[in-house]
Amino acid sequence: MDIWKEFDQNVITHSAAHHLMAIDDLIGRLGYARVSDIARQLNITRGSVSISLGPLKKAGLVEQDENRHLRLSERGQALVAAIKTKRHLMQRLLAEVLGVEPDQAEIDACKLEHLLSNETAQRLLSFMRFLDSEPDRGREFVEAWRASDEHCD
Amino acid sequence: MNALTQDEVILELNHLFAEEVEAALRYLHLSNAIRGLDHLVVGPVLKRGYQETIEHAEVIAHKIRSLGAVPNLEVNISLGPEKIDGKQALELALTFEEAALEAYQDCLRRIEGDVPLEEFIRSQIVVESEHVAELKQLLVE
Repeated sequence: MDIWKEFDQNVITHSAAHHLMAIDDLIGRLGYARVSDIARQLNITRGSVSISLGPLKKAGLVEQDENRHLRLSERGQALVAAIKTKRHLMQRLLAEVLGVEPDQAEIDACKLEHLLSNETAQRLLSFMRFLDSEPDRGREFVEAWRASDEHCD
Repeated sequence: MNALTQDEVILELNHLFAEEVEAALRYLHLSNAIRGLDHLVVGPVLKRGYQETIEHAEVIAHKIRSLGAVPNLEVNISLGPEKIDGKQALELALTFEEAALEAYQDCLRRIEGDVPLEEFIRSQIVVESEHVAELKQLLVE
Protein backbone atom coordinates (compact mmCIF):
# COMPACT_ATOMS: atom_id res chain seq x y z
CA MET A 1 0.00 0.00 0.00
CA ASP A 2 1.22 3.52 -0.75
CA ILE A 3 2.46 5.23 2.37
CA TRP A 4 0.20 8.24 1.92
CA LYS A 5 -2.83 5.95 1.73
CA GLU A 6 -1.80 4.25 4.94
CA PHE A 7 -1.49 7.71 6.49
CA ASP A 8 -5.08 8.47 5.47
CA GLN A 9 -6.32 5.20 6.90
CA ASN A 10 -5.27 5.84 10.45
CA VAL A 11 -7.90 4.80 12.95
CA ILE A 12 -8.32 8.32 14.23
CA THR A 13 -7.35 11.82 13.27
CA HIS A 14 -5.16 14.12 15.32
CA SER A 15 -8.22 16.08 16.40
CA ALA A 16 -10.07 12.89 17.39
CA ALA A 17 -7.08 11.76 19.46
CA HIS A 18 -7.18 15.08 21.31
CA HIS A 19 -10.89 14.73 22.01
CA LEU A 20 -10.42 11.20 23.38
CA MET A 21 -7.47 12.29 25.51
CA ALA A 22 -9.44 15.28 26.81
CA ILE A 23 -12.34 13.04 27.88
CA ASP A 24 -9.90 10.71 29.63
CA ASP A 25 -8.13 13.61 31.34
CA LEU A 26 -11.37 15.31 32.45
CA ILE A 27 -12.83 12.11 33.88
CA GLY A 28 -9.54 11.55 35.73
CA ARG A 29 -9.56 15.08 37.18
CA LEU A 30 -13.25 15.92 37.58
CA GLY A 31 -14.97 12.56 37.45
CA TYR A 32 -17.03 13.62 34.44
CA ALA A 33 -16.65 15.11 30.97
CA ARG A 34 -19.19 17.27 29.19
CA VAL A 35 -19.03 18.96 25.81
CA SER A 36 -18.48 22.32 27.54
CA ASP A 37 -15.54 20.93 29.55
CA ILE A 38 -13.88 19.54 26.43
CA ALA A 39 -14.42 22.83 24.59
CA ARG A 40 -12.75 24.73 27.44
CA GLN A 41 -9.88 22.27 27.70
CA LEU A 42 -9.14 22.27 23.96
CA ASN A 43 -9.97 25.97 23.57
CA ILE A 44 -12.44 25.37 20.75
CA THR A 45 -16.17 25.96 20.40
CA ARG A 46 -18.85 23.58 21.64
CA GLY A 47 -20.07 23.34 18.09
CA SER A 48 -16.69 21.95 17.03
CA VAL A 49 -16.63 19.48 19.92
CA SER A 50 -20.15 18.26 19.16
CA ILE A 51 -19.34 17.80 15.48
CA SER A 52 -16.08 15.98 16.27
CA LEU A 53 -17.77 13.67 18.77
CA GLY A 54 -20.28 12.44 16.17
CA PRO A 55 -17.91 10.06 14.34
CA LEU A 56 -16.34 8.95 17.64
CA LYS A 57 -19.76 7.98 18.99
CA LYS A 58 -20.60 6.26 15.73
CA ALA A 59 -17.32 4.33 15.89
CA GLY A 60 -18.24 3.15 19.39
CA LEU A 61 -15.32 4.92 21.06
CA VAL A 62 -17.34 7.44 23.06
CA GLU A 63 -20.66 7.04 24.86
CA GLN A 64 -23.00 9.69 26.26
CA ASP A 65 -25.47 9.16 29.11
CA GLU A 66 -28.85 10.80 29.67
CA ASN A 67 -27.16 13.64 31.63
CA ARG A 68 -25.02 14.33 28.57
CA HIS A 69 -21.92 13.14 30.40
CA LEU A 70 -19.39 11.54 28.10
CA ARG A 71 -17.27 8.50 28.74
CA LEU A 72 -14.91 6.31 26.79
CA SER A 73 -16.06 2.85 25.79
CA GLU A 74 -13.73 -0.09 26.42
CA ARG A 75 -12.37 0.33 22.91
CA GLY A 76 -12.00 4.06 23.48
CA GLN A 77 -10.07 3.45 26.69
CA ALA A 78 -7.79 0.96 24.97
CA LEU A 79 -7.14 3.46 22.19
CA VAL A 80 -6.32 6.23 24.67
CA ALA A 81 -3.99 3.91 26.59
CA ALA A 82 -2.20 3.06 23.33
CA ILE A 83 -1.92 6.73 22.34
CA LYS A 84 -0.55 7.64 25.79
CA THR A 85 2.04 4.87 25.60
CA LYS A 86 3.11 5.94 22.11
CA ARG A 87 3.34 9.57 23.19
CA HIS A 88 5.46 8.62 26.21
CA LEU A 89 7.76 6.42 24.12
CA MET A 90 8.19 9.07 21.42
CA GLN A 91 8.83 11.74 24.04
CA ARG A 92 11.53 9.62 25.66
CA LEU A 93 13.13 8.72 22.34
CA LEU A 94 13.23 12.33 21.20
CA ALA A 95 14.39 13.85 24.49
CA GLU A 96 16.54 11.17 26.10
CA VAL A 97 18.08 9.56 23.04
CA LEU A 98 18.04 12.19 20.30
CA GLY A 99 18.58 15.09 22.68
CA VAL A 100 15.62 17.16 21.50
CA GLU A 101 14.62 19.90 23.98
CA PRO A 102 11.90 18.53 26.31
CA ASP A 103 9.27 21.09 25.23
CA GLN A 104 9.89 20.37 21.55
CA ALA A 105 9.94 16.64 22.24
CA GLU A 106 6.53 16.94 23.86
CA ILE A 107 5.11 18.88 20.90
CA ASP A 108 6.50 16.43 18.33
CA ALA A 109 5.42 13.39 20.34
CA CYS A 110 1.93 14.87 20.45
CA LYS A 111 1.94 15.18 16.64
CA LEU A 112 3.10 11.60 16.15
CA GLU A 113 1.34 9.71 18.93
CA HIS A 114 -1.71 8.65 16.91
CA LEU A 115 0.18 8.02 13.66
CA LEU A 116 2.64 5.46 14.94
CA SER A 117 1.76 1.86 14.08
CA ASN A 118 1.51 -0.67 16.90
CA GLU A 119 4.37 -2.61 15.34
CA THR A 120 6.72 0.38 15.42
CA ALA A 121 5.61 1.26 18.93
CA GLN A 122 6.40 -2.30 20.00
CA ARG A 123 9.92 -2.02 18.54
CA LEU A 124 10.37 1.34 20.19
CA LEU A 125 9.25 -0.07 23.52
CA SER A 126 11.73 -2.89 23.17
CA PHE A 127 14.51 -0.39 22.34
CA MET A 128 13.72 1.85 25.32
CA ARG A 129 13.56 -1.21 27.58
CA PHE A 130 17.01 -2.21 26.37
CA LEU A 131 18.34 1.26 27.23
CA ASP A 132 16.72 1.05 30.66
CA SER A 133 17.98 -2.45 31.37
CA GLU A 134 21.52 -1.71 30.26
CA PRO A 135 22.05 1.83 31.54
CA ASP A 136 25.83 1.90 31.05
CA ARG A 137 25.78 0.44 27.55
CA GLY A 138 22.75 2.55 26.72
CA ARG A 139 24.48 5.74 27.85
CA GLU A 140 27.61 4.76 25.96
CA PHE A 141 25.58 4.16 22.82
CA VAL A 142 23.75 7.47 23.07
CA GLU A 143 26.92 9.40 23.87
CA ALA A 144 28.78 7.78 20.95
CA TRP A 145 26.00 8.75 18.60
CA ARG A 146 25.76 12.29 19.97
CA ALA A 147 29.53 12.73 19.68
CA SER A 148 29.36 11.79 16.03
CA ASP A 149 26.61 14.26 15.36
CA GLU A 150 28.03 17.76 14.90
CA HIS A 151 24.70 19.34 15.79
CA CYS A 152 24.69 17.85 19.27
CA ASP A 153 26.29 19.56 22.25
CA MET B 1 -23.72 33.32 43.00
CA ASN B 2 -21.01 35.98 42.72
CA ALA B 3 -21.59 38.50 39.96
CA LEU B 4 -19.17 38.23 37.08
CA THR B 5 -16.66 41.00 36.52
CA GLN B 6 -16.88 42.95 33.28
CA ASP B 7 -13.89 41.04 31.90
CA GLU B 8 -15.58 37.74 32.70
CA VAL B 9 -18.78 38.89 30.99
CA ILE B 10 -16.77 39.88 27.92
CA LEU B 11 -15.09 36.47 27.95
CA GLU B 12 -18.51 34.77 28.05
CA LEU B 13 -19.69 36.91 25.15
CA ASN B 14 -16.53 36.17 23.17
CA HIS B 15 -17.23 32.46 23.53
CA LEU B 16 -20.75 32.99 22.20
CA PHE B 17 -19.37 35.18 19.41
CA ALA B 18 -17.04 32.35 18.35
CA GLU B 19 -19.91 29.82 18.43
CA GLU B 20 -21.99 32.02 16.14
CA VAL B 21 -19.22 32.89 13.68
CA GLU B 22 -18.18 29.26 13.45
CA ALA B 23 -21.80 28.15 12.97
CA ALA B 24 -22.15 30.72 10.16
CA LEU B 25 -19.04 29.34 8.45
CA ARG B 26 -20.38 25.82 8.80
CA TYR B 27 -23.75 26.84 7.32
CA LEU B 28 -21.97 28.54 4.41
CA HIS B 29 -19.89 25.45 3.79
CA LEU B 30 -22.80 23.02 4.16
CA SER B 31 -24.97 25.02 1.78
CA ASN B 32 -22.27 24.55 -0.87
CA ALA B 33 -21.45 20.93 -0.05
CA ILE B 34 -24.85 19.57 -1.02
CA ARG B 35 -25.67 18.83 -4.63
CA GLY B 36 -28.59 18.25 -6.98
CA LEU B 37 -32.14 18.16 -5.73
CA ASP B 38 -31.00 18.38 -2.11
CA HIS B 39 -29.31 21.66 -2.96
CA LEU B 40 -32.60 23.02 -4.26
CA VAL B 41 -34.59 21.81 -1.27
CA VAL B 42 -32.23 22.15 1.70
CA GLY B 43 -29.93 24.86 0.31
CA PRO B 44 -32.27 27.77 1.13
CA VAL B 45 -32.69 26.53 4.73
CA LEU B 46 -28.91 26.44 5.18
CA LYS B 47 -28.42 29.83 3.53
CA ARG B 48 -31.02 31.31 5.88
CA GLY B 49 -29.17 29.65 8.75
CA TYR B 50 -25.98 31.33 7.57
CA GLN B 51 -27.61 34.75 7.42
CA GLU B 52 -29.25 34.39 10.82
CA THR B 53 -26.12 33.16 12.60
CA ILE B 54 -24.06 35.99 11.08
CA GLU B 55 -26.69 38.41 12.37
CA HIS B 56 -26.46 36.79 15.82
CA ALA B 57 -22.69 37.15 15.72
CA GLU B 58 -23.12 40.83 14.89
CA VAL B 59 -25.52 41.29 17.79
CA ILE B 60 -23.04 39.66 20.18
CA ALA B 61 -20.19 41.75 18.75
CA HIS B 62 -22.29 44.87 19.27
CA LYS B 63 -22.91 43.82 22.88
CA ILE B 64 -19.16 43.34 23.42
CA ARG B 65 -18.47 46.77 21.91
CA SER B 66 -21.10 48.35 24.13
CA LEU B 67 -19.08 47.06 27.10
CA GLY B 68 -16.06 48.94 25.80
CA ALA B 69 -14.20 45.96 24.37
CA VAL B 70 -13.33 44.64 20.93
CA PRO B 71 -14.52 41.11 20.05
CA ASN B 72 -11.76 38.55 20.36
CA LEU B 73 -12.29 35.85 17.80
CA GLU B 74 -10.48 32.53 17.73
CA VAL B 75 -11.93 30.09 15.22
CA ASN B 76 -10.06 26.97 14.22
CA ILE B 77 -11.97 24.73 11.85
CA SER B 78 -11.22 22.77 8.75
CA LEU B 79 -14.15 21.98 6.47
CA GLY B 80 -13.41 19.29 3.92
CA PRO B 81 -14.33 18.95 0.24
CA GLU B 82 -16.65 15.94 0.70
CA LYS B 83 -20.13 16.18 -0.83
CA ILE B 84 -22.96 15.42 1.56
CA ASP B 85 -26.68 14.90 1.20
CA GLY B 86 -29.38 17.18 2.53
CA LYS B 87 -30.22 15.00 5.53
CA GLN B 88 -26.60 14.83 6.64
CA ALA B 89 -26.31 18.60 6.28
CA LEU B 90 -29.40 19.14 8.44
CA GLU B 91 -28.12 16.68 11.05
CA LEU B 92 -24.82 18.53 11.25
CA ALA B 93 -26.63 21.85 11.48
CA LEU B 94 -28.76 20.47 14.31
CA THR B 95 -25.61 19.31 16.12
CA PHE B 96 -23.94 22.72 16.15
CA GLU B 97 -27.20 24.63 16.73
CA GLU B 98 -27.89 22.49 19.81
CA ALA B 99 -24.34 23.15 21.00
CA ALA B 100 -24.89 26.90 20.57
CA LEU B 101 -28.20 26.71 22.44
CA GLU B 102 -26.49 24.93 25.34
CA ALA B 103 -23.76 27.56 25.33
CA TYR B 104 -26.40 30.29 25.76
CA GLN B 105 -28.18 28.31 28.48
CA ASP B 106 -24.92 27.84 30.41
CA CYS B 107 -24.08 31.50 29.96
CA LEU B 108 -27.47 32.47 31.40
CA ARG B 109 -26.74 30.48 34.58
CA ARG B 110 -23.38 32.21 35.00
CA ILE B 111 -24.57 35.78 34.50
CA GLU B 112 -27.47 35.47 36.96
CA GLY B 113 -28.13 38.88 38.55
CA ASP B 114 -27.12 41.01 35.56
CA VAL B 115 -30.71 41.70 34.47
CA PRO B 116 -30.11 43.47 31.12
CA LEU B 117 -27.62 40.82 30.04
CA GLU B 118 -29.91 38.06 31.29
CA GLU B 119 -32.71 39.46 29.14
CA PHE B 120 -30.41 39.67 26.15
CA ILE B 121 -29.26 36.05 26.56
CA ARG B 122 -32.86 34.90 27.12
CA SER B 123 -33.90 36.50 23.84
CA GLN B 124 -31.04 34.69 22.09
CA ILE B 125 -32.14 31.42 23.69
CA VAL B 126 -35.62 31.89 22.27
CA VAL B 127 -34.23 32.38 18.76
CA GLU B 128 -31.78 29.48 19.06
CA SER B 129 -34.55 27.22 20.37
CA GLU B 130 -36.63 28.08 17.33
CA HIS B 131 -33.71 27.13 15.05
CA VAL B 132 -33.28 23.81 16.80
CA ALA B 133 -37.02 23.10 16.65
CA GLU B 134 -37.15 23.93 12.94
CA LEU B 135 -34.22 21.65 12.13
CA LYS B 136 -35.73 18.82 14.19
CA GLN B 137 -39.00 19.26 12.36
CA LEU B 138 -37.29 19.17 8.96
CA LEU B 139 -35.48 15.98 9.91
CA VAL B 140 -38.65 14.11 10.84
CA GLU B 141 -40.66 15.29 7.84
